[in-house]
Amino acid sequence: MNDVAEVVLPAVPTAGTASVDVACEPWAVQAAGVSSWYGSNQVLKDVDICIPQRRITALIGPSGCGKSTFLRCVNRMNDLIRGFRMQGTVSVHGEDINGPQVDVTLLRRTVGMVFQHPNPFPMSVYDNIALAVREHKPSINRDELDGIVEQSLKDAHLWDEVKDRLSGSALGLSGGQQQRLCIARALAVKPEVLMLDEPCASLDPIATGKIEELLLQLRERYTIIIVTHNLAQARRISDEMAFFLMGEMLEQGPTQQVLAAPQREETAAYLDGSYG
Amino acid sequence: MARLSFAHVRSRFWMAACWVSAAVVLAVCAGIVLAMAARGIGALEPSFFTTDPQPSFEESLAGGIRAPLAGSVILAVSGILAVFLPSLGAAIYLAEYMDEQKLGTRAIRLGLEVLAGVPSVVFGFWGLAVFSQPIFAFLSDSAGGDATSAFGRSFLVGALVMAVHILPFVVKVMEEAIRAVPRALREAGYALGLTKWRMIKRVVLPSAAPGIVTAIVLGLGLIVGDTAIVWLTVGGTMTMSGADAWWLPHNWLPVLKGTGSTLTTFIFYSSPAGEGNAPGKAYGAAFVLLALVVALNAFVAWIGRQRSIKAQ
Ligand SMILES: Nc1ncnc2c1ncn2[C@@H]1O[C@H](COP(=O)(O)OP(=O)(O)O)[C@@H](O)[C@H]1O
Ligand SMILES: [Mg+2]
Repeated sequence: MNDVAEVVLPAVPTAGTASVDVACEPWAVQAAGVSSWYGSNQVLKDVDICIPQRRITALIGPSGCGKSTFLRCVNRMNDLIRGFRMQGTVSVHGEDINGPQVDVTLLRRTVGMVFQHPNPFPMSVYDNIALAVREHKPSINRDELDGIVEQSLKDAHLWDEVKDRLSGSALGLSGGQQQRLCIARALAVKPEVLMLDEPCASLDPIATGKIEELLLQLRERYTIIIVTHNLAQARRISDEMAFFLMGEMLEQGPTQQVLAAPQREETAAYLDGSYG
Repeated sequence: MARLSFAHVRSRFWMAACWVSAAVVLAVCAGIVLAMAARGIGALEPSFFTTDPQPSFEESLAGGIRAPLAGSVILAVSGILAVFLPSLGAAIYLAEYMDEQKLGTRAIRLGLEVLAGVPSVVFGFWGLAVFSQPIFAFLSDSAGGDATSAFGRSFLVGALVMAVHILPFVVKVMEEAIRAVPRALREAGYALGLTKWRMIKRVVLPSAAPGIVTAIVLGLGLIVGDTAIVWLTVGGTMTMSGADAWWLPHNWLPVLKGTGSTLTTFIFYSSPAGEGNAPGKAYGAAFVLLALVVALNAFVAWIGRQRSIKAQ
């Protein structure tokens, strides 16, 4: 059963050492033996995965294979779903996220999330970003808040398009702008990991291109996990890739390597387009 | 061919029947508005709005609706102030915290349904009985210096009874507004690290604000339109009993603790069924009341439109 060769670990981005702790250090997120269920329906099966720091990791696989569920395990969004159950461990920067000491609101600030459909709050552009910042730091003054809003919008490559309409409703923005606003909103609470669940699924190619471009810049400062159905997108922006199939993580490795020489037949079949 | 055309005729027939029904509804509605307008408009001179009712056998001397109009506004505003926080709290609790499976939840829902089905005259009667108790003397002028019971009738008493009467309707509309906030917005709030309460306060309530305002406006309409509760708990006096110069701001407390009338009780009083017997004034007041209710409904519709424009 303990077939070590089965676990395909990616090359550690920085030189590893013998010590387990040190070897773990470059991993921003690590999952070990994660299984999960919605009611009696098992969705994840013994998933092991290592997400390197300050890299873009793409999660790929046919729909329904558990990619979103995996993301929602990492920031414990599944806690909100009745009947959800999880086994195994997920650690963020070496800390077990299900540990008794963990403050889940702090975890969710550390691990930001952007959803498949843009979901700005029905408020002004400014308030979309300021809302959570104000809640986390009630004593913040206006100048400081203005600064955070501006910086977040700049980081999300949205500032130039909205700087004259910060008080206008966010619902008046285009879909691509709304999605970048959601990225800005997530960045404003200063996360270390940014997870994006098919962020471009409802966007046109130009809006998609803008998001890819900004993710490549954010990569220098954040660990990014992106679920995508778009293999070309994964090829363009990701450093690392993990392939999911029917709740299992079958293969993980550097993107070029997985794309050029997949280790598993199923991966090769998926890359050839045999699965939907 | 024959069967087909028979079906066709039948379909035509039902369409015509629906059209006739709709036309009847529209005609009745227009008839009421036109009747009120035709007979009421004559009364609508400036003095109608600037004089208080003056009981008189001579209709031309019977005064206007200044005090009843103010009474409607006072009762509506104070009733809404009384109902707002309890109903918002209940709606948040029902929509966000309650477990639908639990017995307690079903008991509360049943209670609200029962409350919604109670005729307003029963509330009025109940309110009068409760608020006549001496411990509630601070809500109404006492019946006498050392009375063993409170008078039990005042704008304050009326507002509290109204609050109980409209509570189930206001809670229902607010709860629906809260439930209608998309899950995606809630998840966005949680994903930013908000606690449940802060998520509700900062994300759900602002998103539900148009629906919450709608609930308030509907509540205003219910209060303004009710007669039985007013007659029983605000009293049958057409003018304000609390102060002669009731419009002076510093008289607010005596006015609230005193009795008075609203447009509805004024209409009842002035109609041939009441003592005032000034039907012309009653039509005038009815027209004003109708205009008020239509304005409130138009406001609700406007909020709805704003919301759908924003959502685009
Ligand atoms: N909230 C939920 N409740 C019950 N089942 C769910 C829920 N979310 C997802 N699932 C199920 O879990 C499986 C994996 O879904 P998901 O993680 O969304 O897949 P992916 O993101 O890879 O398309 C699917 O079969 C889906 O029906
Ligand atoms: Mg998904």
